Amino acid sequence: MSLTDANLVLHVSNFSVDYGYADEAIRAVTDVSFSLGRSRVLGVAGESGSGKSTLVYGLTRLLRAPGVITAGDVRLRLSGAREGEIIDLLAATEDDLRAIRWSEISIVMQSALNALNPLHKIGKEFDEVLRVHDGRLSKSQRRQRAEELLALVGLQPDRLQRYPHELSGGQRQRVMIALALALRPQLVIMDEPTTALDVVTQREIVSELHELRERLGFALIFITHDLSLLVELADEIMVMYAGRIVERAPALDLYRAPRHPYTLGLMESFPPLSGERVAMTGIPGSPPNLKTPPAGCPFHPRCAYAHDRCRNEMPPLNDIEDGGRSVACWLHDPASPVEVPVSLSRRGDTTPGGVK
Amino acid sequence: MKSLRIPRSPKVIVGLIILGIFVVLTVIGPWIAPYDPNANTFIPNLTPSWEHWFGTTTLGQDVLSQLLVGCRVTMVVGFIAGLVATLISIAVGLAAGYMGGRTDEGLSLLANVFLAIPGLPLLIVINSYLPAGSQANPLVVGLVIALTGWAWGARVLRAQTMSLRDRDFVEASRIIGEKRWRIMWSEIGPNLLPIIAASLLFTILYAVGVYSTLAFLGLTNVSTWNWGTMMYWAQSNNAALANEWWWLAPPGVAIALVGTSLALINFGIDEFINPRLRAAGLSARQRRRVGLARRPRLGFTPVLRQSTVDPKKVS
Amino acid sequence: MASNSIDEKGNHGVTTLLRRLAIYLFTAWTTITVNFVLPRLMPGDPIQQLIGKLQGRVTPEMIAAIKAQFGQGLNQSMWTQYVHYLTQLLHGDLGVSITLSSPVSDVLSSQIWWTVGLIGVGAVVSFFIGTALGVFFGWTRGSRADVVIPAATFLQSVPYYFLGTILIMIFAATLHWFPLMGAYDPTLSPEWSWTYIASVLRYGELPLASIVLSSLAGWMLGMRNMMVTTMSEDFVLMAVAKGLSRRRVMWHAARNAVLPSVANLALTIGLLVSGSLLVEQIFNYPGVGNLLVNAVGNEDYPLLQGIFLLITFTVLGANFLADALYYVLDPRTRTAAVH
Ligand SMILES: Nc1ncnc2c1ncn2[C@@H]1O[C@H](COP(=O)(O)OP(=O)(O)O)[C@@H](O)[C@H]1O
Ligand code: SF4
Ligand SMILES: [Mg+2]
Repeated sequence: MSLTDANLVLHVSNFSVDYGYADEAIRAVTDVSFSLGRSRVLGVAGESGSGKSTLVYGLTRLLRAPGVITAGDVRLRLSGAREGEIIDLLAATEDDLRAIRWSEISIVMQSALNALNPLHKIGKEFDEVLRVHDGRLSKSQRRQRAEELLALVGLQPDRLQRYPHELSGGQRQRVMIALALALRPQLVIMDEPTTALDVVTQREIVSELHELRERLGFALIFITHDLSLLVELADEIMVMYAGRIVERAPALDLYRAPRHPYTLGLMESFPPLSGERVAMTGIPGSPPNLKTPPAGCPFHPRCAYAHDRCRNEMPPLNDIEDGGRSVACWLHDPASPVEVPVSLSRRGDTTPGGVK
Repeated sequence: MKSLRIPRSPKVIVGLIILGIFVVLTVIGPWIAPYDPNANTFIPNLTPSWEHWFGTTTLGQDVLSQLLVGCRVTMVVGFIAGLVATLISIAVGLAAGYMGGRTDEGLSLLANVFLAIPGLPLLIVINSYLPAGSQANPLVVGLVIALTGWAWGARVLRAQTMSLRDRDFVEASRIIGEKRWRIMWSEIGPNLLPIIAASLLFTILYAVGVYSTLAFLGLTNVSTWNWGTMMYWAQSNNAALANEWWWLAPPGVAIALVGTSLALINFGIDEFINPRLRAAGLSARQRRRVGLARRPRLGFTPVLRQSTVDPKKVS
Repeated sequence: MASNSIDEKGNHGVTTLLRRLAIYLFTAWTTITVNFVLPRLMPGDPIQQLIGKLQGRVTPEMIAAIKAQFGQGLNQSMWTQYVHYLTQLLHGDLGVSITLSSPVSDVLSSQIWWTVGLIGVGAVVSFFIGTALGVFFGWTRGSRADVVIPAATFLQSVPYYFLGTILIMIFAATLHWFPLMGAYDPTLSPEWSWTYIASVLRYGELPLASIVLSSLAGWMLGMRNMMVTTMSEDFVLMAVAKGLSRRRVMWHAARNAVLPSVANLALTIGLLVSGSLLVEQIFNYPGVGNLLVNAVGNEDYPLLQGIFLLITFTVLGANFLADALYYVLDPRTRTAAVH
């Protein structure tokens, strides 16, 4: 596996992560493969506990014990001075990793309040990353850069003098975004950056991100459990369930015409972006206990279309509809005894849920 | 609601074993003591031998017998003081934390005052005003120790009660109309157990330490055998200058072992209260066996290239 | 226990600090009142007994002074006595020591510096060393360095007087590396000379080492716990994600982890002082602890009370300093949070 296409930033294949070892081990991410193009936005969706965070923290080697990467290959194409170099993240040494952290990959965590050092003023956070990664910048240059970055996310320069607890939730998350862009990384990972915020602020930040991406051209992996949020932002969406990718498709296609029963359920758990509010039906039951995953399709205990095959055989992630998208569901197998229901066979240009 | 399941780590087990031994000695110590601890009929300053496992003192007394007899008083005072102090702290902490308002203000102030006053000097002063008979009575001394030792536990329990008070299940039973004391007892109580246990361990530790310190200073009855009085006699006979380690070491090491056992058990409770302290995953040895670095490193997730999950469990 | 960035009532910064100060002042007043009430209320009337014993041993003026101080045979109401007592205290009059026949305040002011010097230096040194070790062992949790934990737990449980005695036995009595006891070479007389100062330092080494050794383990274990807890915070992982060096990451964690230690400082000072009082007894070192034990032995109640007040006030002052330090170190105490 490699990163032959020069337009790809990240290539992941057969990536698996366990928590714990031996008797206590659970498989939290199983056999995930995807690649991400330059300046593209990949959305990752799924209920809480489906393995989204484990996936991205694993890829970046930031996952804490007892997390262990048990299989896969992760390659990152470097930019800037190291343009053209490709680094194998799973074989990298600590020093290799340190050299690319923040300058090539940066991350925004769910809770900005927890992610910012409570004893540091905002200014110091910027100053530190700029100083550590670029020794040539003078103090005043670093300060000027920090002010520019804050302006990028619509914050006043006086915020640099504040401590994290003195800012509002939205301001803190904007600070985190500005900080993530400080070294112009080519890949930014955001793990539910808006989940803790109110709906209005969520929308604001998402549209700001959209603009920023257009302007600065970084690639983005954006995690959320709110699918409707992704449609605005993402080029492609990956839906995860029980540590696996169950559906992957271009954002609008996935949103308008889901193919996996779980994706459909996810969408019905959130009000649509526009139009009338419809009753949210959600998904009955809860995600499986990864210690004792169900046999066959992990979604079958909650799936309205489950049939015998689902209970015994694991559906592979297969390309459908000429390779534009893929889904892991027996319904879409040509030999499926159950007819694909209307809700899962719409054409990409219709909208689900009766919303125009 | 969580039940009190203390992690069964080697630390906790070792702690329980050591404590168990001393509890047994508390009961049977005076009976199995080979000699009368006061008998000064032996050859003085004998080093340890078969007849005198821990040797004899300058006064010709058997050290082992003093240690065994002294165990009971030391431990009983420690446990009584610890229990009484913990009861006070439960009463004060729960009342302050649950009632809030003026009750809380008053009780918290009381606890803060007791926390701020240095305990040992206060004890020494109170003790010196006690009538001679009471000074010699370990029970009275134990109660006075309890009086100076409850505040820390009360403070911690108060904080925990306050945070529990507003949680859902307590709120729910309040809405159903359960009586206050019933809510406290049945809903809040079990959740406070680990903290109560920790504070009991600490106060016992404190009480054993303080009681033997008072005894070492000769401020309790110096003819009641406990580990502090043993040190008192050793000190006043210049055992250190004469290098009589067999006389000094037994009481000191005994107190240290009791303290260590309580602290080891507390490690388990700490890990129960604060899961972040729990070692993540395997022990160092087990990690090595599966091919991982001995210690997990922040920001360097290990790559094992083989899953240890039972393949049957992954469909 | 845990850090209190804001107090129970949600007050911030200076308000919190002022509340703490109020509590300390209240505690001081309580101590004074306890001192007043105890000898008067205790069963068996200890003062009456003392006066009985003193008859003929000290001058009649002395007995009169003691009677006056403890309200014996004055037929004054409790309240009058109390006001009188407070007035005397305000003038720094702590009564006259029975055994030393000089004003308690004079006795104390001549001895306090030994105690402050020894225990103060010991406390500061052990706090810094213990905290530094705690940072290190917290950071390397899971490595071979973990073997120090059981050892430190045992060391923490060793009673101070035992540790001190053993140190004397090994290093002074047997190996002769340090002088046996006292605060300076008894052939010298106290004066500002180099020989005298050198002698004080020399004689202070072993007592100081014993204080540091006995409280070191406590600080270390506490700090290690806090370090381990802090390292599971997001901002520490963030520091790693930012590509900072290990040293820097450790520093991010350590600065935060030390805050609860400082908050605990206030709670621990009393304990530390209590334990360290014994150092003077064991090393036959001059100072307040030694005076205290002798005062108890000689039933020198005026001296006893004076010492108790002095120790308590010093501890309260130290508590307040620790609170103020916390206030300086944690910005969250200084400004209100936005919700
Ligand atoms: N430290 C851990 N130890 C054991 N299991 C964990 C740990 N962290 C997460 N998990 C499990 O891994 C699964 C995936 O979690 P996570 O990646 O956090 O999901 P998401 O980010 O999608 O909410 C969950 O089932 C969770 O219970
Ligand atoms: S494979 Fe079967 S159980 Fe799984 S999602 Fe498809 S229909 Fe439902
Ligand atoms: Mg997550």
